[in-house]
Amino acid sequence: MTVAVTKTEAERALKSQFEAKFDALPGNEWVRGLRREAFAEFDREGLPTRRNEPFKYTDLRALIREVAEFSETGNMPVSETDLYDVLGVDLDELDAYRIVIIDGRFNRELSHFDRAAGLEVMPLQEVLDAPPDWFRAEFGKVNPPPGSNPVLALNTAFMTDGAVIRVAEKAVIDKPVHLISVTGSTQKIAIAHRNFVTVGAGAKITLLETYAYRRMPFAQRNAATEMIVGDGAEVHHLKYQNEGVDALHLSTWMTRIGARAKYNAFQFALGGGLARSQIYARFAGEGAQADISGAMMQFGRQHCDLTMLVDHAVPHCTSRELFKAVLDDEARGIFQGKILVRPHAQKTDAKEMARALLLSPRAEFDAKPELEIYADDVACGHGATSGEIDENMLFYLRSRGIPEDLAKTMLITAFIDEAIDLIEDEAIREAFKKISCGWLGCR
Amino acid sequence: MLEIKNLHARIEEDGTEVLRGVDLTVPTGEVHAIMGPNGSGKSTLSYVLAGRDGYEVTEGSVTWNGVDLLELEPDERAAAGVFLAFQYPMEIPGVATMTFLRAAMNAQRKARGEEELKTPEFMKIVKAAAEKLKVRPELLKRPLNVGFSGGEKKRMEILQMSLLEPGLCILDETDSGLDIDALRIVAEGVNMLRGPARSMIVITHYQRLLNYIVPDRVHVLSKGRIVRSGGKELAEELEQSGYRDFGEEAA
Repeated sequence: MTVAVTKTEAERALKSQFEAKFDALPGNEWVRGLRREAFAEFDREGLPTRRNEPFKYTDLRALIREVAEFSETGNMPVSETDLYDVLGVDLDELDAYRIVIIDGRFNRELSHFDRAAGLEVMPLQEVLDAPPDWFRAEFGKVNPPPGSNPVLALNTAFMTDGAVIRVAEKAVIDKPVHLISVTGSTQKIAIAHRNFVTVGAGAKITLLETYAYRRMPFAQRNAATEMIVGDGAEVHHLKYQNEGVDALHLSTWMTRIGARAKYNAFQFALGGGLARSQIYARFAGEGAQADISGAMMQFGRQHCDLTMLVDHAVPHCTSRELFKAVLDDEARGIFQGKILVRPHAQKTDAKEMARALLLSPRAEFDAKPELEIYADDVACGHGATSGEIDENMLFYLRSRGIPEDLAKTMLITAFIDEAIDLIEDEAIREAFKKISCGWLGCR
Repeated sequence: MLEIKNLHARIEEDGTEVLRGVDLTVPTGEVHAIMGPNGSGKSTLSYVLAGRDGYEVTEGSVTWNGVDLLELEPDERAAAGVFLAFQYPMEIPGVATMTFLRAAMNAQRKARGEEELKTPEFMKIVKAAAEKLKVRPELLKRPLNVGFSGGEKKRMEILQMSLLEPGLCILDETDSGLDIDALRIVAEGVNMLRGPARSMIVITHYQRLLNYIVPDRVHVLSKGRIVRSGGKELAEELEQSGYRDFGEEAA
């Protein structure tokens, strides 16, 4: 049932901007068709409200009051030194290939990936202007969300650029690939960008996506990544979200996992005023395993929503999900995780858990773990907990002379590290731990 | 010297008065046992001394070498030399035992204005203490107390005690949950720490622990008060007669 409602100011702004900017957006006629289709899909229902079940806790229609101008280019350049400031010493020193996106635009000067054998990187904009067959065959179809998804639709409608990454069959990329998306503009801007990643059969790659800001903490971002994990491939896919305090962060990951592949995903969410991250992962071949986990640390009045759907579409696959949230002040953390086991997906082994640690009586955690199982020979489980710091543990530490603040920090660190420890790449894992310590220190 | 005078304390949540005028003096260098049936206030006394939340002292005083303990936070009491060996040591997942030991030792040093320990020095001290107390090195590599047996947990408490070198040790039902071999090892560890500069309070329900840790004095706690004091022979007497003479049901 569609109820005719008055468009909000934000929805009207999106429509007028789409019409005004359409001609200047990259892409051939096929891409323009995709954009029109996507915007029409968005325009039918507008921004999602809480009555739209997947957006139950994140009513974007109420939360997004205004839409900034979609920028074609930021008004300020971002330098190598700026990147250091953005990343902090721990991530800046990460020995990695770099792909840099500034204000939604692929930046060649700051990127360096040329010496990686088996790794091909192209700006999305160029690919959209002349899409090759392999791209046309898969783009937007890798693993789209079920039904209409306004966040993704807006991304498709407005996407300017991004990274297209292809890893050759059996290639082992020797260092992590760090895809750094930074907003550098001093004006309030909106940006939409998109990545498309194919990992060939038997290949191996670690991809870290960092989302951060340089100058002003209020950008509106809509980012999406589509990824095909080839048969027998091994992918470590990470996200570090460190947007500004007033920024809007919309993110969608769509992943299709091939047979016998290993897909380890981790999302680490810190910055951002209003964040909505969506993860859609689908098993497309038997014998694959996935670990999709994450940690969020939020304070002030931050709102951080992580919504996930793991689709066991084939038999004999294993998935694990562990999400941890540390919430202070009036922060609100949301975890919605659905595991779908389709009728033929026998021998599915899936377990998910979400846990929150509330550091303030006004912090809130909403958890909705769901199992939807249509096969009868499976092992599935889920759970969710939320609570305060354990008083008994705290007293135990203090009774040994450890001051209260340090004792709390030790317990919070222990709590969040259980998730961070799932990251296999040691350098990234240790960098995230330092970032988490920093968060606890300056909270 | 520890001096407890007319100590009254109640449980904050429901107002139940548990300690009803405890008077107790433990001179420096002595080991005193506190015996009593379940519910007599033994554990409450240990928690009030260590500064656990949830208890309200309504009357009386506790001084340790002239310092008013009741004014101090739990970590300040620890820095002042108070150590409580828990009846049920907490398992703390995610906190490595070594990290914990180091944080505790350094925090106390810092509070006393001493230099923090350097890594090699710290490792050496812990290793030596662990060997002496027969704590398996593997245990030090695990998260604190996680998956430890009852005996291992108690030994870890004694290890902490030996590393922190407290002046006042309170052992709360250290014998509970231990078989006779584990009890012997733990008692040996405690005896090693006895010395002229250290006072100990050994809280126990049963006399058997006192065969291994022989006290200088024995006190009987009943309904929140010390009702009788004597030498170590008092413990043996209690073993024969139970706590009935103190108006309690036999445990």
